[in-house]
Amino acid sequence: MSNFQPVSGEIAVSVQHLGLTYTTTIDKRPTLKARLRTMGRGTKHTRVVRALDDVNLDVPYGSVLGIVGANGAGKSTMMRVMSGILPPSQGRVEVYGKVSTLLALGVGFNPSLSGRENVLLGGLAAGMTRKEIADHFEEIADFAELGDAIEAPMRTYSSGMFSRLGFSVAVTVRPDILIIDEALSTGDAHFKEKSLNKIKELRGDARALIMVSHGLGTIREVCNEVAWLHKGKLIQRGEPNAVVDAYEKFLHVGKSAAINEDI
Amino acid sequence: MNKTAPVEVYEPFKAGLPPLTRYWRSLWTRRSFISEYSRSELHEKHFDTVFGQVWLIINPLLLSGVYFLLIVIIAGNSDKMRYAHLTACLFLFYFVNHSMSGGSKSVVKGGKLILNTAFPRIMLPMSAWLIALIRFLPTLVVFFVIRAFMGLPWGWNMLWGIPVVMITGAFALGLAILISCANVYFRDIGSFLPYFSRTWLYLSPILYEVKNLKPKLRTFELVNPLFSMMDAWSRAIVHNQMPHLESLLKGTAWALATLLVGTYFFLTRERDFAVRV
Repeated sequence: MSNFQPVSGEIAVSVQHLGLTYTTTIDKRPTLKARLRTMGRGTKHTRVVRALDDVNLDVPYGSVLGIVGANGAGKSTMMRVMSGILPPSQGRVEVYGKVSTLLALGVGFNPSLSGRENVLLGGLAAGMTRKEIADHFEEIADFAELGDAIEAPMRTYSSGMFSRLGFSVAVTVRPDILIIDEALSTGDAHFKEKSLNKIKELRGDARALIMVSHGLGTIREVCNEVAWLHKGKLIQRGEPNAVVDAYEKFLHVGKSAAINEDI
Repeated sequence: MNKTAPVEVYEPFKAGLPPLTRYWRSLWTRRSFISEYSRSELHEKHFDTVFGQVWLIINPLLLSGVYFLLIVIIAGNSDKMRYAHLTACLFLFYFVNHSMSGGSKSVVKGGKLILNTAFPRIMLPMSAWLIALIRFLPTLVVFFVIRAFMGLPWGWNMLWGIPVVMITGAFALGLAILISCANVYFRDIGSFLPYFSRTWLYLSPILYEVKNLKPKLRTFELVNPLFSMMDAWSRAIVHNQMPHLESLLKGTAWALATLLVGTYFFLTRERDFAVRV
């Protein structure tokens, strides 16, 4: 889809009756030994999690959709379904464009490799070609402001450097649809400012953005629409201030400084 | 323009399997990931050491040196054929062994990538297998040098080694895929693996030749996939003879079966990885 050009108002992502259940382990580190030791005693090693339940959502181009919800509401799971990482159990997700994900620090899975190598590997895994990555590399390094550290092993990076690099990769590759999962929260004020400007720029560029954040101030500031998820269900969606107000009321926190602080 | 068909549609899997044509297509477009990943892993592993990439040659040299000490110097056995057989088979065995041990860690190690990127997970054990293959190639050079020193005859029958390596390679790939997946569910497989592979080494015709084995113990042949592969390998590359057709067919059957079972097992479990790793 190289000639694909997003048009404001057209559907970017369509989520229809999405449901997701998965089985996960209770043991922190599942082992054969633990299995054998408890064999025949009826000990449970897995539990079934119903992460999403009949969620319907459309995201048009040129808009920023914020997703709010308490921990464990299924926000990140929904992002993963939209980016094809988790296949749904029920329903259907249609994606009209190239998705770039920034789900809580995507890049840097191999800490002993340098930032450069990690960017290359992450990009190749996401289906980009070597040339595409090489073309964008300077821009990525510049935006992340890492300097020479880009050649150092990622185990030497601070958490801020990690997320700066992750954010740069996601926004620089010019995705049609950008998914951001609480990735901005570890940057300093200067980088936050810069990322917010970048997000606004992408919005003006008729891209679609989906943002998961606990920073309600940011959500109010940049989003055109907000969806509130709770325990896998879509509770409310609509105009940002209305939804965020309802969510804040639900949390019984009101407008305190603590929740406006972070993005 | 985007009233046309969606670029991607995500729906529940049918029969637990992802849509296969799409899977292979996306695997093919990402093939450079596999080579890049293997390259950087190998590079990183040897980067800090004095000898660097030369370790790829030093390792097999030391390994064959240990067995030279054991067989030729300590046991006083100066049978050239036996030593050549041992090095050739040992190197091939280590290819399988490295695929298994690398494969077992591959998926669990890719944790962050699995959580945050959509890609065919099978690329991870494939990369581990490629690393094992890259480490195997220099050992062949070492073997040929040893062989030349011993003055063993060369001949066209040695070319039978090529199909044998292909069969063993397919088998090793199947094993890597199978074990990488099993390791997600049972994380202690890595601790069993060294003992398992050591036993396997002794049960396969590597430290001895098939013809020296007691007929009673020949039953191993039926359950040990490496038996026919090692025998064929030794005949071709050490003895310069044509391997038994039976060994080649058996090896192929084992390799295909392991590859199919491993891939099926992997693909049906793959969707779990993001919530299990």
